Amino acid sequence: MNTPDESHEIYHEAYVARIWRHFCRDKFARNGLHVIIGLFILAALAPFLANSHALIRVADRHVTFPVLASMQDIEWRFLFYVPLGMLVYFFRRRFFAKTGLHVLLLMGVVILIEIDLKIAHPINDPTNDRDRPALFKLMPPIPWSPIESTPDQFSPPSLKHLCGTDSTGRDIAARMLHGARTSLSIGFVAQSITLLIGVTLGGLAGYYRGWIDIGVCRFIEIMDCFPPLLLILVAISLFDSQNNMFYIMAVIGLTSWTGLARLVRGEFLRLGAQPFPQAARALGASDFRIIVNHLLPNALGPILVSATFGVASAILIESSLSFLGFGMQAPTPSWGDILSDARRYIDFAWWLGLFPGLAILTTIMAYNFVGEGLRDAVDPRLKVK
Amino acid sequence: MTTYITRRILLIFPTLFGITLLTFLLIRLAPGNAALLKGGMGENGGRAMTAEVRDQMIKLYGLDKPWYVAYGDWVGRSLRLDLGNSIVDHRPVVEKIGERLPLTITLAGSALLLSYFIAIPLGVVAAIRRGKFEDRTISFVVFVLYSIPSFAAALLLILVVAGGDYLNLLPMYGASSVNAPDMGPFAWGWDRFVHLILPVVCLTYGSLASISRYSRVSMLEALGQDYVRTARAKGLPRRLVVFRHALRNALIPIITIFALELPVLIGGAIIIEEIFTLPGMGQLMFQSLDTKDEPVIMGITLIAAVVTLLSYLTADILYVVVDPRITFE
Repeated sequence: MNTPDESHEIYHEAYVARIWRHFCRDKFARNGLHVIIGLFILAALAPFLANSHALIRVADRHVTFPVLASMQDIEWRFLFYVPLGMLVYFFRRRFFAKTGLHVLLLMGVVILIEIDLKIAHPINDPTNDRDRPALFKLMPPIPWSPIESTPDQFSPPSLKHLCGTDSTGRDIAARMLHGARTSLSIGFVAQSITLLIGVTLGGLAGYYRGWIDIGVCRFIEIMDCFPPLLLILVAISLFDSQNNMFYIMAVIGLTSWTGLARLVRGEFLRLGAQPFPQAARALGASDFRIIVNHLLPNALGPILVSATFGVASAILIESSLSFLGFGMQAPTPSWGDILSDARRYIDFAWWLGLFPGLAILTTIMAYNFVGEGLRDAVDPRLKVK
Repeated sequence: MTTYITRRILLIFPTLFGITLLTFLLIRLAPGNAALLKGGMGENGGRAMTAEVRDQMIKLYGLDKPWYVAYGDWVGRSLRLDLGNSIVDHRPVVEKIGERLPLTITLAGSALLLSYFIAIPLGVVAAIRRGKFEDRTISFVVFVLYSIPSFAAALLLILVVAGGDYLNLLPMYGASSVNAPDMGPFAWGWDRFVHLILPVVCLTYGSLASISRYSRVSMLEALGQDYVRTARAKGLPRRLVVFRHALRNALIPIITIFALELPVLIGGAIIIEEIFTLPGMGQLMFQSLDTKDEPVIMGITLIAAVVTLLSYLTADILYVVVDPRITFE
């Protein structure tokens, strides 16, 4: 590619475009992003990849799509991420033109997708299409559903069960795929909540200063004095809605916004002292417009970096919670839950620990690589090389 | 300096007030209470108790009072250093926490020390060999370690070195052996040490990443300073420049971040204690959450918050003590 003179180019390039260009140069970060996108696609397609129902079934002169009929509310919702991601990707120029507002709107949409105040009760559907006779049927690659118990308990990985089965004979490969949905959406939604609260409170404190600033800082200090897991554990275990995924997301989000709020406040204090917000105000821009269109886009780099690391830590927190028995409860599939099973049967069922452990490791590493790449791209002075 | 410290100590109180109020509200807003749980929930079967007994119990523990009255009572008692009695076994909260705090502090403290001892040399080496093989290897390994959840690492370690399937070097769980009470002080100490090796290792490596990263950045900054260049220019040996000029200054910010690590380690200890079934604060917390044991939950929150606030305060004071260029205000 024929690029013009570097130093000249930088002035003509949008902030976000420059970050993106730097980001793409980093091999680790790029691959991390690919892994995350791949995981999202796998998680969205989980019902079609691992299900005890057939994709297409032809019997009694009827063509039916049992998978679609059996899909649960939450599985439909997760599919929204695919068009959402594609929209952001294809309209990235327009999307990033008004970065501040659009990112906040995107987070709002993500929360709306996942908001669900009902307590999930995975239905163990005893019917399956594996043994049902049919003229023609197309089974998913993994013909087991994640909550379906089978007679072969603790079978090691084999062609029948790719990653083995657990204590009640549930297929681990199916549970892993469906558990990806849990982990990914918890990371994403918890961080969206964090972002909305952190940007709002930090932004208000940094922009208006004065007593708002004092109040917000006090509040941050109070929240910061809880050891990280303590408040989450108190909030989750006292309210008996442990199986509501949105509740867990909300608790994680509501307790981890302080770091981001501090960051946004600092950035806004720094940016507010510069001439461009004053110029905007002189031209008659409202406070909202200055915050969203002028200050926020300029603070977005560090915010996104912190948010990316935040997603990783939210996933870690969720899996720790499930592991301790405070997160999503069985039979809802979750990586942490499989690992807590692994703890009980560790003497012989090594596959229970290996696969979810690797999955968590991969996801966290991918997010952390993306975060590192973003940080280097946002502030090239800190770069390792 | 005295006025600064006094002001900081006075500021601790409103923060403590906020923390305890938040926790108290959470406990009170949650459905159910300790008396109902203790009575086996009443209605359908189990060890149901009569309505009168239940009401008596609710009255006894002050669970019938509105939250602001109950919270006021709690604050009043706490100011007199009385944290009340546990609802479950009626033992004083102070006593219950007191017998568990040392273990958690030992755990978090030794993890902190160990991670400092490992992370600082790593960070220094990475900074000196910036961009070279050593730097990239250290960064990568630390990065991978950081991405493994501590409980997964604990599982792996138990499987390999403690389970007896592969190696049987270390005990799998508990803080001491069954026959520990009969041991002499040295044997007891050794026994405790052996039991704590795995938990401390699991707790350590998480903070390894952040401390080594900090020390790398801080060391790089120090190495880029004018006085380091001057020292090099006047022909001092490299070793002397690195250790006497750069390292000493680089250590200042590293020492103070222990305050940020300590709360993280205490939070991490909750998980580790649960995995290794160590009788520490984490385990007590789980038990009291299960039984909604209000006084104990409040007590633990208070102690954790005080420890955190004091470590922040110590860090701020240390910052000034170790770096004479910084003064209070």
